[in-house]
Amino acid sequence: MDFNALILFMVFSAVLSYLVSKSNIKLGAYSTILFSLISLIILFLGRNNIGNEFSLLYMNFRVTAIGWYFSLIMILIYSMTAFFNPYWMEKILYPSSYNFLYLFSLAATVGLFFAADLITLFIFWEVVVWSSTFIVPLGKSRKAAVVYFTISSIGSMATLFAIMFVYSKSGTFDINEAFKFLASEPLTATFVFFTFITAGLTKIGIFPFHIWLPLAHGNAPHTFSPVLSGGLVKMGAFIAYLSVGILPAYKAFSTSMTIMGIPFQIYLLMVLGAISIVVGTLMAIKQDDVKKLIAYSSVANGGYILIGILMMDQVTFAGSLMHIFNHAIASAAAFLTIAAIAHRTKTTKISELGGMIHKMPVSYVVYLISIISLAGIPPMGGFVSKWLIVQGLASKGLIFIAFAAFFGSIGSFLYVFRPLAGLFLGQLAPKYENIKPSTLVMKIPMVILASMSVFFGIFPKYLLETIGEIQTSIGIDPIMINGDTITTINGVLNTNKVAAIFGFGFVISLMIFLVLPKSRKVGLMDTYTSAEFIYTPELYHYANSFYAPFERLYKNHPSVEKFLGKFAVKTEELGILVNSLFFSHKPSVTVLWVMAIATLIFLGGVDI
Amino acid sequence: MTNPVLLIVVPLLLAFLSVALKNNKKQLLFIAAVFNVVGVFIIENGSYVIGGFRAPYGINLNLDAYSHLAVLVINILFLLIITMSNEKTKEFSTVLLVALAGLNGMLLTGDLFNLFVFLEIVSITGYILSTESKKYKYSFNYLILGTIGSGLYLFGLIILYAIFGSLNMADISFKMLSYDTGKLVVPIFLMFIGLAVEAKLIPFNGWVRGVYGNANSLIGSLFASVYAGTILFVFGRVFGQVLVLSEYLVAVFVAIGVITLIAGEVAAFSKNKIREILLFSSIAQSGLVALLFVTGLIFPTVLQLLNNIITKAVMFTIAGKISDDADTDEADKLKGIFANNKIIGVSFTVSALSLIGLPLFYGFYSKINLLLGLFSKINYFVAAFILLATIIEGAYFIRLLVKLWTPGEEGKESNIKFVTDRKVEFDFNKKVIAFMLSLIILLAGISPSLVKTNLFAMNKLLNEENPSYMFELKGGM
Repeated sequence: MDFNALILFMVFSAVLSYLVSKSNIKLGAYSTILFSLISLIILFLGRNNIGNEFSLLYMNFRVTAIGWYFSLIMILIYSMTAFFNPYWMEKILYPSSYNFLYLFSLAATVGLFFAADLITLFIFWEVVVWSSTFIVPLGKSRKAAVVYFTISSIGSMATLFAIMFVYSKSGTFDINEAFKFLASEPLTATFVFFTFITAGLTKIGIFPFHIWLPLAHGNAPHTFSPVLSGGLVKMGAFIAYLSVGILPAYKAFSTSMTIMGIPFQIYLLMVLGAISIVVGTLMAIKQDDVKKLIAYSSVANGGYILIGILMMDQVTFAGSLMHIFNHAIASAAAFLTIAAIAHRTKTTKISELGGMIHKMPVSYVVYLISIISLAGIPPMGGFVSKWLIVQGLASKGLIFIAFAAFFGSIGSFLYVFRPLAGLFLGQLAPKYENIKPSTLVMKIPMVILASMSVFFGIFPKYLLETIGEIQTSIGIDPIMINGDTITTINGVLNTNKVAAIFGFGFVISLMIFLVLPKSRKVGLMDTYTSAEFIYTPELYHYANSFYAPFERLYKNHPSVEKFLGKFAVKTEELGILVNSLFFSHKPSVTVLWVMAIATLIFLGGVDI
Repeated sequence: MTNPVLLIVVPLLLAFLSVALKNNKKQLLFIAAVFNVVGVFIIENGSYVIGGFRAPYGINLNLDAYSHLAVLVINILFLLIITMSNEKTKEFSTVLLVALAGLNGMLLTGDLFNLFVFLEIVSITGYILSTESKKYKYSFNYLILGTIGSGLYLFGLIILYAIFGSLNMADISFKMLSYDTGKLVVPIFLMFIGLAVEAKLIPFNGWVRGVYGNANSLIGSLFASVYAGTILFVFGRVFGQVLVLSEYLVAVFVAIGVITLIAGEVAAFSKNKIREILLFSSIAQSGLVALLFVTGLIFPTVLQLLNNIITKAVMFTIAGKISDDADTDEADKLKGIFANNKIIGVSFTVSALSLIGLPLFYGFYSKINLLLGLFSKINYFVAAFILLATIIEGAYFIRLLVKLWTPGEEGKESNIKFVTDRKVEFDFNKKVIAFMLSLIILLAGISPSLVKTNLFAMNKLLNEENPSYMFELKGGM
C-alpha cells in the first residue's frame, strides 16, 4: 500500500474514531487500538515504499529509510499505549476528542517523518504540538500544557525563522536542496544550525529546555505519558538528525575552531547534551512521583540520543538510533506499568505505594526489565545502545562527554532502584490489600514491549542491520556486525555471551533462593517501637527519605524553573508598566503622549 | 455599471427612514446589511465621479481590487455580526445604519478630505455605541481622543492641501513622487497620529481598554472586527499606497508598529479577563498590520488583517455573550465553561489557534506569507519580533483555552465537577454563524488555494508588487 494512502487513512481513522466514540465511548477507544495497529502493519510491510515521493494538497512527502524507522517506532508506541485507552474513557473529561487527538497526532508524526520540504515538516511539527497540547491538561495539571506549548513554540518559532531564512537564500523549501548552499558559508551555517535545531532541543528536553518534560510527562493523562515520553520526544531527535545529516554541518564547520576534534558549534550542543544527562539523572534521583522520575530519566536519555546523533559517525550514530528505539519501548513500558498501578490505586507517588509485587507481578517484571534497559544494564537493549554510544565517544577521545555518559549510567542505578524498592518491593500498605491485578488487555502491550527490550538486548542484529542500512542510505559507514557480535575500534561485544553470563548468574541466584529457608512474612503494622504502636504506615515506608544523604549534596542547586519563574514575573510586571504608561483610563495621559510627539515633530521633523 | 455609491446611500437613506419607522428599525438594519452584501457582488471596479466634477476637482469613489475586497469582507462581517447578536441591535439600529454608510464610505472614497468626513461619522457612531456599557467615563475618554485624533488628521491634511493644492488621493500621490518627501514629515506624521488613534497604535490608544473591555457581544465584535478592519484597510490605503513615505518615516512607523505589537502581546499576557486579553491582542494585531502596510507588503498584510478580523468577530461575540450572561469575563471564574457549550468552544478554539497562526488553520497561511514577504525584503529583525510575539500570543491563548476547556485544580485530574456553575446560553444564530466561520477558517487553512483563487481581488494584489490602485485607475483622472 502506498504511503500517501497510509497518511490519508490515518487522518480519516482519527475522524472515524471520533464519530465512533460519540456513539459508544468504549468502542471508540478500541477503535484507536485497531486503527493504530493497522497503520503499524501497513507501515511495516510497506518498506518497499522507501524512495517514493508523493504529494497531498500543498504538502510534499518523500519516504526515507530513517523516516520509516522513526515512524515505525512512533506507531509502535502509539499502538501499544492505545491498549490502555479503554480503561481511561470514563475518567477523561472529553473522551471522543481524546481519541481524535490521539490518532490525529499520530498521523501528523508520520507526516513529519516523511516530509520532503521544510514547510511540510513545520506544518506537521506544529500540528503534533497543538494536538498533543490539548491532551495534556486533561491530566493533573493545566499549567503543564501551557509550559509545554510555550517551550515548544520557542523552539518551533526559532526553527521557522531558520526555514524562512534558508528559503530566502536558496529559493527552495526542498529538504535535500535548501541547505546545500551552507556548505561554503560557515558563518551563515552556524546561525542556521543553531536556530534550526532549537525545535529539536526543546522537544528532546535538552537543558535548559528540559523543564516541560517532568511537568507534561508527569501530569498528562496516564495513557498519554508513554506516548509523550516514548514517542513524541523522538521527533526532536529527527530534527537533530536533519541539522547535522541534511544540513551539511560538518562540511560547513570544517574550517571553524575545533574542540577535541569536533567543531565548536557541535561540541557546544554536545556539552548541553552532557549537562542534560547529569541534570536529568540527579533530578530523577530526587523524585517521589514515579512519572516525574521517568520523565527526568527521559531528559538524561535525550542527552545520550542527542550526543550520538550529533556525532554522525559509524558507531555513536548507530548507538543513538538504536537507543531511540530502546528508550522508546522501555520508557513507554515503564509508564504503562505505572498507569496500570495508577488504574488500581489512583496514585503514582512512591511514598504512598509499596509491595505492589504481591498484587501486580506482571507489572513488576515489565517495570524491572524496562527500567534496567533505561539504565543501560545488560542484558537489555538499552545496554547495547549505551555501550555503542560510550564506545564511540571514547574512541574519539571525547573524555568529558564520555564522563557525563558514565555518570549518567552510574546515577541511573540510583534512580532505577528507588521505585523498584519503594513501589514494588517492601510492604504492602493496608488499604491496597484488596486491589486486583491489571487486566489482560493491559498486560498485552506491557509484555510485548518488555520482551522486545530483552530480545533486542540479546539479538541486537535485527535492529542494527536496519540501522546499518539507514547509515548507508545517508552516506556514512554502516555499523559492523557479524552475527550477534558488534565490532568497534576499541573492542567487540557479543550480546549472546553477555546474556548467557547473566542468565547463568540468574540461575545461580534462583537456586540459592530456592535452597535457602523461606523468609517469614510480617505484616506492615505488626510492629512497635519505643513501646508505642505506630498507626501511620507512611513512616514505615521504604522510600521515606530514601537517598536523603545523597540528595543533601546538591540540595541548593540552581534551577531553570526558578529562573524562568522570575522571568515570567518580570514579563507580567512589564505588562503592568506598559498598562500604566499607555493604557490608562485617563484621557489626559494619551493626550499628553499625542502632544509630546506632535511637539517633537514640530521641533525636529522639518529638517530631516 | 452599478454605482458603488449605493453602498453608502442606501444605508444612510434607511437610517433616516428608521427614525420615522421606529417599530421596524431592526428590519431596516437587516435589509440594509443584506442589500450591501448583495450589492458588493454586483458592483464593478472603476472610478465613480460624485457630483459632476471630474477628479481631481470633484469627489470620486475608487473601486479597485483592494477596496472591493475590503467592502466585501467588511459588509459580510457586518451582516454576520448583527445576525449573531440579533437580540441587541434594536436599540442602536439607526446608529448602526449610519455606521454602515460611513464604513463603506471610508473604504470607497478616493478623496482624503472625504475620508475625514466619513472618519468623523464613523467615530461618532463609535462614541454612541460605546455608551451601551453605561461606562460614560470611558466613552468620554474615547470622544476626547477620537476628536483630537481626527483634528490632527485634518491639520496634517490642510498642510498637504496647501502644498499640493489637491485632496484627491491619486493626484496627491502622483505629485508626491516628484517632491522631496523629507519635507513632508510633519503633515504625514500628523495624519498618522489621526489614524493611529482609531487604529489603536501605541501610544495613542488609551481609549481602547475602557471601551473594548466593557463592550457586549454586539459592540465588542463590531469594534474589534468591522471598525478595526475598516480603519486598518484605510490605513493601508493611505500609508501603504497613497502617501509616499521617506525612509525616516518608514523607520519610525515600523518602530511604532513593533512596539505596539510587543507591548500589546505582553499586556495581554498579564491579563485574566477574556475581553481584556482579546482587546490587547487586537492592539498587537493592529500594530502588526500597520507595520506590514508601511513596509509595503500589501497581499500578506491583507491576509493577516482578514485573519485578525474574522477570528476576532467570533471571539469577541463569544466573550461578550459570556460576560453578559455570567456577569464576569474573568477566565479563572469561568473554568470549563466550554464543557457545556462545545460548539461555541470549538469555534472559539479554532479562531484562537488561527490567530496564533498554527498550521491547518487559515492563520498559518497568512503568517507564512507575511514572513516570506518580510524575508524577501530582508527585514529579519521585524520577522524575529513577529515570531517573538507569536510565542507570547500562543502562551496566553493556550492558557486561556486550557482554562475554559479543562477545569480542575493543580494536582488533580480534570473533571466535570470542577466546571463553573455560571451558566451561559448561546442562541442558535451565534452557534451557527460562529461554527460556520470556524469551518471557513479551517477550510481555508487546509486548502489555501481556495483563498488565493476564489477571492478575485487577491490574485491581483499578489501578482503586482505595486498596489494596483494608483496606477490602474489613476484616481479617475
